[in-house]
Amino acid sequence: MTSENASVDFFEQCGDELAIGSEIYNKVLGFYHKEARLLDNLKFMEWAETLATDIQYNVPIRQTRLVKDSQSSVLYSMRHMYEDYRSLMGRAMRLSGNSAWAEDPASRTRRFVSNLAVFATGTEGEYAAVSYLLITRNRFDDDHFDLIPCERRDIVRLEDGVWKLAKRDVILDQVLLGTPNLAIFL
Amino acid sequence: MSGNNNRRLADGSTIADLIDLDRREVQLRTLSDREIYEWEQEKIFGKTWLLLGHESEIPNDGDFVQRFMGDDSVIVARHKGEVFVSLNVCPHRGMKITTQDAGTASIHKCIYHGWAFRGNGDFLGSPVADQCMHGTISTKEELALKQARVTLYGGLIFATWNIDGPSFEDFLGDAKWYYDMLFCRSDKGMEVAGPPQRFVVRANWKAAGEQSAADGFHTLTLHRWLGEVGNYKKDDGESGDLTPEMFGAEVSSPHGHALRCIDLNRKIRRLTGKDPEELSTEEKLRVLPPPGMTGEAFEQLKRNLSPEQLEVMAWMPPQVGGMFPNVLFGYVYIPQADGSVVGSMTLHAYVPKGPDKLEFTNWIFVEKDTPPELREKMVMQTIQLFGTSGMVEQDDSDTWPHMTLTAKGPQGRFSTMKYQAMYETGKPEGWPGPGIVNEGFTKDDTQWHWWKYWYDLMTAED
Repeated sequence: MTSENASVDFFEQCGDELAIGSEIYNKVLGFYHKEARLLDNLKFMEWAETLATDIQYNVPIRQTRLVKDSQSSVLYSMRHMYEDYRSLMGRAMRLSGNSAWAEDPASRTRRFVSNLAVFATGTEGEYAAVSYLLITRNRFDDDHFDLIPCERRDIVRLEDGVWKLAKRDVILDQVLLGTPNLAIFL
Repeated sequence: MSGNNNRRLADGSTIADLIDLDRREVQLRTLSDREIYEWEQEKIFGKTWLLLGHESEIPNDGDFVQRFMGDDSVIVARHKGEVFVSLNVCPHRGMKITTQDAGTASIHKCIYHGWAFRGNGDFLGSPVADQCMHGTISTKEELALKQARVTLYGGLIFATWNIDGPSFEDFLGDAKWYYDMLFCRSDKGMEVAGPPQRFVVRANWKAAGEQSAADGFHTLTLHRWLGEVGNYKKDDGESGDLTPEMFGAEVSSPHGHALRCIDLNRKIRRLTGKDPEELSTEEKLRVLPPPGMTGEAFEQLKRNLSPEQLEVMAWMPPQVGGMFPNVLFGYVYIPQADGSVVGSMTLHAYVPKGPDKLEFTNWIFVEKDTPPELREKMVMQTIQLFGTSGMVEQDDSDTWPHMTLTAKGPQGRFSTMKYQAMYETGKPEGWPGPGIVNEGFTKDDTQWHWWKYWYDLMTAED
């Protein structure tokens, strides 16, 4: 059993932070706004077009640990999602099909993206982006919302003038997840 | 069935009023009633063996994890090589001894007033004992953390509060012969990929529990996507038929355990191009070894299992099912796009969290000597199909809450769940395994036996 922690690596690769309002920063922010719009409007196949074909997409589990053991509070030995391009396309196809009952009728979701920071990386055309995400999810007659607050640590890439998501690590704020499944994308 | 049927719910009903043994029907109110939930805490979660984890989660002395037995939090700790399960309640003022999910500690010290305990629950002392902090009325032995009875099986940690009750082996009964094929088949044993996934489903634990007793039928409809766009679609992209997967043998148990043994012949024919009838048990197991193993592991299987178990393993191995009251196992052979097969090994515990809430705890396993590349494929596939985001099980976790809601309606609570698809077949010809075994297309018997054991326990004398 391993307890590797990939989040440390993420911040090691972050170079200079781009100024808020600079051209690239605004482009990346626009990418996230568009992504939220596509997912909240159930445009899964259009969203899938924004994925790089070498994408790595992870949602590690969390554990409640003492502060001195906090490196073990995010664990990649087990994950809620562990995806590559093929599996994400599979999920998008399932949701676009006829029998994805977990999301048909669909949840009403809203993705609030904030606190965006964009960093240069050692690779031309690739940027590290950290953002906060709050998803509100409502199903059927529920008079409550499932709240899914998290931090996303992404690599976004400019491929032939098109922005693509090349890597995503989603750090959830709940140990015991309060929504019955992750049939939605984070 | 005998026992104490006299206990009455607030409206005067007895447990016997909720279950029609002749018609094989169960009233829906069993899924919503708070009184029934509270009885279950005592009569079921206070009495049976419960799955708490695997010893590979606490490999070293002092390692511990926090888990639940019913509504009670417990500390599962390794102390001097042995595994102990202690009630996570300080005997002083009732604070949780540990608030962490996991850690390593030679001494567990309550953060409130500092009373200290060993991994085996022994009371070490209070911080100002010289000022009579823990008094003289209670002995140190009386101040130890309450201990559950523990057993390890294939490295899996089970515990019960029923200190003088049936042994774990008696609890498993004939079903053990089949579970051995899953949990005790390799030389080095299984290990967890990591700590479990945990998430909340707003449903009664029995909506998930009775399904775990080998409900085959729901696969055809609730999981229809598997044939439409998933792993069981046809090579030409047309929708695949899931009904062939419903054939095999189903094992049920007077203790509510259940295993669906699914025929591998079609997969073996596809992998070899040969008629499986012409292949020996060894040839079949080398071509299609169980999840987590490669063909070379046949020698291990031979060492750890009987020839009769090997025969079933090569023919109709147990792939999905449960262990009463709240465990589901999925040890499945999943077809891949390239024609090969990759296995998954997963165990769930549906931990009750009130009449309309359960915690879904999901462990993923590999064999300790599963080759690294296969291990990675298994873990990835299992996460993609089962548990939190699993494309199969996300449909289940959206279904059970609806059953729990309908069970609250003043009319709906008296509707019944029906288990009337009955086997009339018996064991497959030449079947060497023990227990209640029936051949053919899936039926309801295994789930009905699950409810009958629930009934037995709920009406048992204290």
